[in-house]
Amino acid sequence: MSTPTPIPMLDVSGTPRTPITRLVGVEFRKAIDTRAGFWLATSILGLVLVVLMIFTLLVDGQKDFGDLLSVAGGVLGYFLPILVIMLVTSEQSQRNGLVTFTLEPQRSRVVAAKFLAGLCLAGTVMVLAVILAAAFTVLGALTGESPSWTIDGNLLFNGFVLANVIGILVGFAISMLVMNTPAGIVAYFAYSLILPSAAGILSALSSGFEKVAPWIEFNTAQMPLFSGDYQPSGQEWAQIATSGFIWLVVPLALGLMRLMRIEFK
Amino acid sequence: MITVDRLTKTYGAYTAVDDVSFACQPGRVTGFLGPNGAGKTTTMRVMVGLTLPTRGQVTIGGLKYHDIPNPGRHVGTLLDASAQHVGRTGREILTIAAKTMGLPSSRVDEMLALVGLNDNESTRRLRNYSLGMKQRLGIAHALLGDPSVLILDEPANGLDPAGIRWMRGLLKGYADRGGTVLLSSHLLHEVEMIADEMILIGHGKIVAQGDKKSLLAGANGSATTLVTSLDNAALGAALSQGGHGVEPMGDGLKVQATPEQVGRAALSAGVVLTDLRSGGAGLEDLFLELTSDTAREAVPGVGAPTTGGTPA
Repeated sequence: MSTPTPIPMLDVSGTPRTPITRLVGVEFRKAIDTRAGFWLATSILGLVLVVLMIFTLLVDGQKDFGDLLSVAGGVLGYFLPILVIMLVTSEQSQRNGLVTFTLEPQRSRVVAAKFLAGLCLAGTVMVLAVILAAAFTVLGALTGESPSWTIDGNLLFNGFVLANVIGILVGFAISMLVMNTPAGIVAYFAYSLILPSAAGILSALSSGFEKVAPWIEFNTAQMPLFSGDYQPSGQEWAQIATSGFIWLVVPLALGLMRLMRIEFK
Repeated sequence: MITVDRLTKTYGAYTAVDDVSFACQPGRVTGFLGPNGAGKTTTMRVMVGLTLPTRGQVTIGGLKYHDIPNPGRHVGTLLDASAQHVGRTGREILTIAAKTMGLPSSRVDEMLALVGLNDNESTRRLRNYSLGMKQRLGIAHALLGDPSVLILDEPANGLDPAGIRWMRGLLKGYADRGGTVLLSSHLLHEVEMIADEMILIGHGKIVAQGDKKSLLAGANGSATTLVTSLDNAALGAALSQGGHGVEPMGDGLKVQATPEQVGRAALSAGVVLTDLRSGGAGLEDLFLELTSDTAREAVPGVGAPTTGGTPA
């Protein structure tokens, strides 16, 4: 039956392993090279622009750089994770995972590349949002106000960067768990919009739940990051860690396990 | 170059691939033939690490696919030409692959030219591609990294006759330059023209393998010949007397004998032949017979194959 001829060996000395930087570059490109990806990224910035405009026109009083920044950050928080969800789930929904994972069979490297690409993309959008917020502050100064340029480091790091990175991580975890674009987006909004309201209602009804809520509901736990002095207390950090374990670490681990095993058809 | 060793893949109680072993040699085109659902695609998916085998293993040039660094430079794969983001242009799809493999973008232009996708077509989005165009793009994708091994699942699917001829020439040339080609098909005609070696699979099991000649020889003397003459009745009588099965088919006869035997019978009976050819249906009959108990539909009576049975 089988052929007795010795099997020639494949000479792989000339092809080093694909460097992760190249994979990150490819994934970054894949995030914005489709109409859906490109326009989503563009409309996020457009939305930041519109919201900043409304905020400047309709809200009375002086708008400091810090105020504009937190408004811009809030908008990003809702939509950056969608970019990541599309980047990850399209591999299954659009079926190009078949090719992606054939060209790089070490799936964990593709996952790492996607994550880093998602962070780069988010970073780019954040920088652009900061520039927009600065532009509106200049606009305020030109119209006779004297906005303050000083910003709280905690606002910048906790409220703007950390909060958005957490959002991206959650989007990432959800994507790998459901591996389907529409379902991923719905799940993300259920998590970010419905869950905190439900927790709020339950907290209003039961004071017992109110005490427990920040320990088990991630959105509630994160509130101190973007409100008040943007500096969670020790207990609030503990709540972020505990609820983050439930809503971030566990889904991320399960999602990763699923992605490593899933059969891309 | 490709060695499949006692490969088994089960999904629950269903066995998709059942203890399959074969090897594909460099410089040869190996045809992987079987009806739909026979296990061809599953076997090929295991080869490139997309599906984990239940038992057994596949190596390419002595290595598991997972252990080949930058595998696109060694193994060109086309599993499903439609498995690409429909919102990307053909050119963008190749560019992404070229960037992943670390190839210059000039390679993309070369491949687009090779498979005959012009500028207008390559800048269209995949959702506007016909199946044939997707297939050409998929072949370009597989050849991009200048691999020494090609694994193609139903590459002729959706190609027009000119496209099929073009692909045949392409793969033949590729193998002549020392490449290893494995291509699957459920159409015998597609494969027998080009494959040096054939592997017939049905219900996850290999039912026969070898080159065309040895396959036919193994089919217990079922050689058939199609013959047309100026006096079919006389020729038919002579052949029947010689102990060969004869049945009318189209304008001529289908005879259970080799062309040589028919020619000799015609010579001695003094009948002028107007057409004499080996019944290409022989291999087809074999293929259907070997896989019939596993095919989705029972084979309708043997009497009515398409007239002529011309190999494509």
